[in-house]
Amino acid sequence: MNSDAPDGGWRPRLAAGVRLRVDPADGRERLLFPEAALELNETAAAIVRLCDGRRSLAEIVGELTGRYGTTGAIARETAEFLGAMRERRLVE
Amino acid sequence: MNTSPPRSLVAELTYRCPLGCLYCSNPLDFAKRRAELSTGDWSRIFAQAAALGVLQLHLTGGEPLLRDDLTELTAAARACDLYINLITSGVGLTEARLDAFRAAGLDHVQLSLQDGDEAGADYVAGAGVHRRKLAVARMIARMKIPLTLNFVVHRLNLDRVGAMIDLAAELGARRVELASVQFHGWALLNRAHLMPTPEQNDRAEAIARGAAERLRGLMEVVFVRNDYLAGRPKQCMGGWGRGTIVIDPAGRAMPCQAAASIAGLEFPNVRTATLGEIWRDSAVFNAFRGYDWMREPCRQCPERERDFGGCRCQAFALTGDAAAADPACEFSPHHRTVISARTELSERINPVYRTARSSRDIFHRNNSPGG
Repeated sequence: MNSDAPDGGWRPRLAAGVRLRVDPADGRERLLFPEAALELNETAAAIVRLCDGRRSLAEIVGELTGRYGTTGAIARETAEFLGAMRERRLVE
Repeated sequence: MNTSPPRSLVAELTYRCPLGCLYCSNPLDFAKRRAELSTGDWSRIFAQAAALGVLQLHLTGGEPLLRDDLTELTAAARACDLYINLITSGVGLTEARLDAFRAAGLDHVQLSLQDGDEAGADYVAGAGVHRRKLAVARMIARMKIPLTLNFVVHRLNLDRVGAMIDLAAELGARRVELASVQFHGWALLNRAHLMPTPEQNDRAEAIARGAAERLRGLMEVVFVRNDYLAGRPKQCMGGWGRGTIVIDPAGRAMPCQAAASIAGLEFPNVRTATLGEIWRDSAVFNAFRGYDWMREPCRQCPERERDFGGCRCQAFALTGDAAAADPACEFSPHHRTVISARTELSERINPVYRTARSSRDIFHRNNSPGG
């Protein structure tokens, strides 16, 4: 049911109790929730920063494509990443 | 040794608690440890922890709600940008208080429940609290504060994990943890009553696996097997002195909540040393760091980088030697002690509740002449 691929109209945002912050120890961005401090690579952090509940998935992909280039991989990878995050209830 | 920074701080704010759970992780002698750090002490520790690299703070006890300054402590932790998880029984939590915690920066609540069944829950807690806890869980969910429910599972309740999972889903939890009892302190004292059978464990684990699949995306379901039944030891605290600092109510710094059970360790106190000194330089935090302290069979074992030799407190409790291999490991020469524990008889003795009175009794018995 919830494992379906997310659709472009979804407006993802960080779930309550999940915080993104820079780790002063190494300058990398981490996603904090009770069980872990998940290290995000630069692309993943860029995606999460755009998950503000206002932008749709399609708009997020559009922004990232403008920033990083025009390959179709961005759309697929962003949807996959956010789908997996939604399954873990880190974004909603 | 070049040590990586600690990432999480467990703050045991008090040993006072209205519950008397048979498996409590507090030390057996908690009743003689009544001193508690002040608001200012804790605020200083939070700031030191954040500067050292700590990202997450777990406020626990005893029952942390019994600290009148919990809102101030939450605000102090949030001022250092720590992620704040409140670990509570929920007993005594009101909407007004929870609202104040949230305004002060609380991120998440982990609520303990003892069973999916009221009679079973109240028996294990030694107090009639289950119904009130359910009301508190509903209140937390209604206020949209992210909630994890934690059930410690053991022989007396393991056959009801299905009901526990259903209850957690109905209460609106984001995650449910079915954490098998770990045999330290009070749980070790009550082991004959709490030891699950392998068949019981297998059935419960299968139910939890099925539920995890069915509830994917709705609620996370996590089952942690009892290490006596696993064959392999648990990677305790992610390794001794590798990522976590525990501070007890009076300020003793420890690598894990059970570490004080190891005789002969002198614990540094946050009143007289900084957290940085304690983490990097104290004898206790370096005692079982890395691999040099290991004996055979751990020393040559390829698993050592995965489990770090298992749990030091368990090695001490079951073999008298904290540097021995954890007897939960099938390669330990003492592994038979965990095998024989599966068939211990409990009928002869009553379980011991975690109360101030029983704590004092145990302490006096252990310190009486010849005893």
